[in-house]
Amino acid sequence: MTKISPQFAEDLKQYGEDTALECFNCGTCVAICPLIDGSFPRKLIRYVQIGAKDRILLNRNELWKCLHCGLCSESCPRGADPGGILLSLKRYAVASWRKS
Amino acid sequence: MSDPKEKKNENSVNRSEKIGVYVCYCGGNISDHVDVEKVRDAAEKMPGVVVARTNSFMCSDLGQDLITQDLKDGLIDRVVVASCAPSLHESTFRGAITRANGNPYIYDHANIREHVSWIMHGEKATFKAEKLVGAAVGKAGLLEKLDPIQVNSRKHVTVIGGGIAGLKAALSAADFGLNVVLIEKTPFLGGNAAMLDKIAPFGEKASDLISQLAKSVLEHKNITVKTHCRLVGFDGYIGKFDLSVKTVFTDPSDHEQHPGHFVPFEGVETDTVVEEIIETGAVILATGFKSYRPDHGEYGFGKHKEVITLPDLIKQVGKVEGSSTLELDGRKIRSIAMIHCVGSRQIPGIHKEDENGYLNEYCSRTCCSSVLFMANKIREQFPDTNIYDFYRDIRTYGRGQEDLYDKASENRVVFFRFDATESPQVIPSSDSDYPLQVTVKDGLTFNEEIEVPVDLVVLATGMEAGDISDIVSMMKLPVGTDKFLQEVHPKLAPVEMAVSGVFLAGTCQAPMTIGEACNGAAAAAAKAASLLGKGLVELDPYVAEVDTALCDGTGACVDACLADGALAMVDGKALVTPALCLGCGACVAVCPSRAIDLKGWSLKQYEAMVDMIVAE
Repeated sequence: MTKISPQFAEDLKQYGEDTALECFNCGTCVAICPLIDGSFPRKLIRYVQIGAKDRILLNRNELWKCLHCGLCSESCPRGADPGGILLSLKRYAVASWRKS
Repeated sequence: MSDPKEKKNENSVNRSEKIGVYVCYCGGNISDHVDVEKVRDAAEKMPGVVVARTNSFMCSDLGQDLITQDLKDGLIDRVVVASCAPSLHESTFRGAITRANGNPYIYDHANIREHVSWIMHGEKATFKAEKLVGAAVGKAGLLEKLDPIQVNSRKHVTVIGGGIAGLKAALSAADFGLNVVLIEKTPFLGGNAAMLDKIAPFGEKASDLISQLAKSVLEHKNITVKTHCRLVGFDGYIGKFDLSVKTVFTDPSDHEQHPGHFVPFEGVETDTVVEEIIETGAVILATGFKSYRPDHGEYGFGKHKEVITLPDLIKQVGKVEGSSTLELDGRKIRSIAMIHCVGSRQIPGIHKEDENGYLNEYCSRTCCSSVLFMANKIREQFPDTNIYDFYRDIRTYGRGQEDLYDKASENRVVFFRFDATESPQVIPSSDSDYPLQVTVKDGLTFNEEIEVPVDLVVLATGMEAGDISDIVSMMKLPVGTDKFLQEVHPKLAPVEMAVSGVFLAGTCQAPMTIGEACNGAAAAAAKAASLLGKGLVELDPYVAEVDTALCDGTGACVDACLADGALAMVDGKALVTPALCLGCGACVAVCPSRAIDLKGWSLKQYEAMVDMIVAE
């Protein structure tokens, strides 16, 4: 069970992007991602969208797969900037790791 | 069986000897499977036929010209066309006959496309086509010139229901010059629309729309509005209906109303009942819908006071002044779950049937847009109140409605998608800070279980047919399996009822938006105006006719008659009221002296058809 945290979007702001709620779950980012790896990066974007903090930290290793080629952000029809969000999440994961 | 030639001699006085037969290729639709020329050759040899022609498209101007020319030349006096289904082109060919100054009822139609070439091939197909043409020729020989039944009609329409559709229908009909009576059972005009605050997608105030419309209705010189008024009796026929209505004026004060009982410090209560007959020409039904009421326990409804319906929310939020967090009954609402499709799109085996075994399998069409409109309104007015939207599917069809979804995304509304088999659960929250939580297997999060703590759950309840069973049985109205009133044809006759002279407006027909209800209402008014405007209604002449010389007055026909009032015994003889007769022929079958017959479908004509079918 994943509990949502409405506060999370606010918390993430200090690490950068605040565009996850633009996403309407079309999956274009997954289709264009050269990693071709499950639902990467939409899954992480969705976790941000609903504020599933624990799931993000649990899956944090996935963040470092991203090469930041920028294709997802370029092709996103909603301007949700998945690449930018991943970058923010990296900062967030690092900060959370240091705290714990 | 008698030889058709013999039959011809027997009836030579009445029988036409100048029948024209016109056989259509229908491009290749017919001729690919039926040897059309062979059918023509056969037709030419049939008794009474003087000319038989073919054309690649008989419905084309060239094809129709063959018929009109032969009529004008005096070559023929009866017409048989063998082509597609009569529902498609019967009126076309009747029109051609009328243009040649002929009577349109000297016509018979053989369907050799749907009944032959589309379902069979080869020699069998040609054989059957010949038989069908033969039957039509047999009947055509005995066809008589008929005149449509003319009914003097009243330039008056009665609208039942004073909601937005009823108001619009009344106003449109009155603007067409008809006199209008609008009856409404409650003291108020506006119906369900009056329960709304602002209307999706553009945000006009419902009160403005209704006030404006009601003002025009109340001020219109052609319209009489009767509130507190119910239909209690229905009589008559298209152009001439007599509606019995009952108006009950009760004391509008707050105490419970019991006429005949003593009310302390007031006296014995009375009510004033006025019964009257409205003489009208057509009826527009605008009886509206009722909002779905969730079952006890459905998504926690009735169990938890924090679970309310969308109409409740609209009413409550409409009264709240602005602050950063929505407050209802003194409670701060930090987060709201809105659940779609409650009481709509129900699936057999998954959802619970009501006490009569009904499910609402249809989409209520307005709730998605209404939910998103409210979500936007709350997010914009109370930015610290979060909205979580749980949907099966979202359908924001129509102009300006898709924008509501975009706007909701912009307003940070979070969406969750559930499958009908795994609806969200509304349960007390594990988080002591919130009264409730919604748990859902979320399709957008890869079917993971998500737990959403909330202060309020809003159920997007749909529309159900209003309870008008009294009117339905009184007027013998067709009702669909969804319990809404059913039109004659969903596309080609969308506001007409099978009861002639009765029309539909608004949500008594199906769930629809206010705009669509007004469309329907204006269409119904236009239909009523075109029907009654001439002061004369023309009906098909295929009705029963009594030969009083043969009638023994057994009354068997009256007992067999399916249409109330169409047949009666007057001075020992059967008398037909043509405007009410359905032309079904039930009376013809039971008459022991063959004194009653159907015009245009007489027993003799049937016999002639059968004789031709069995002839070698």
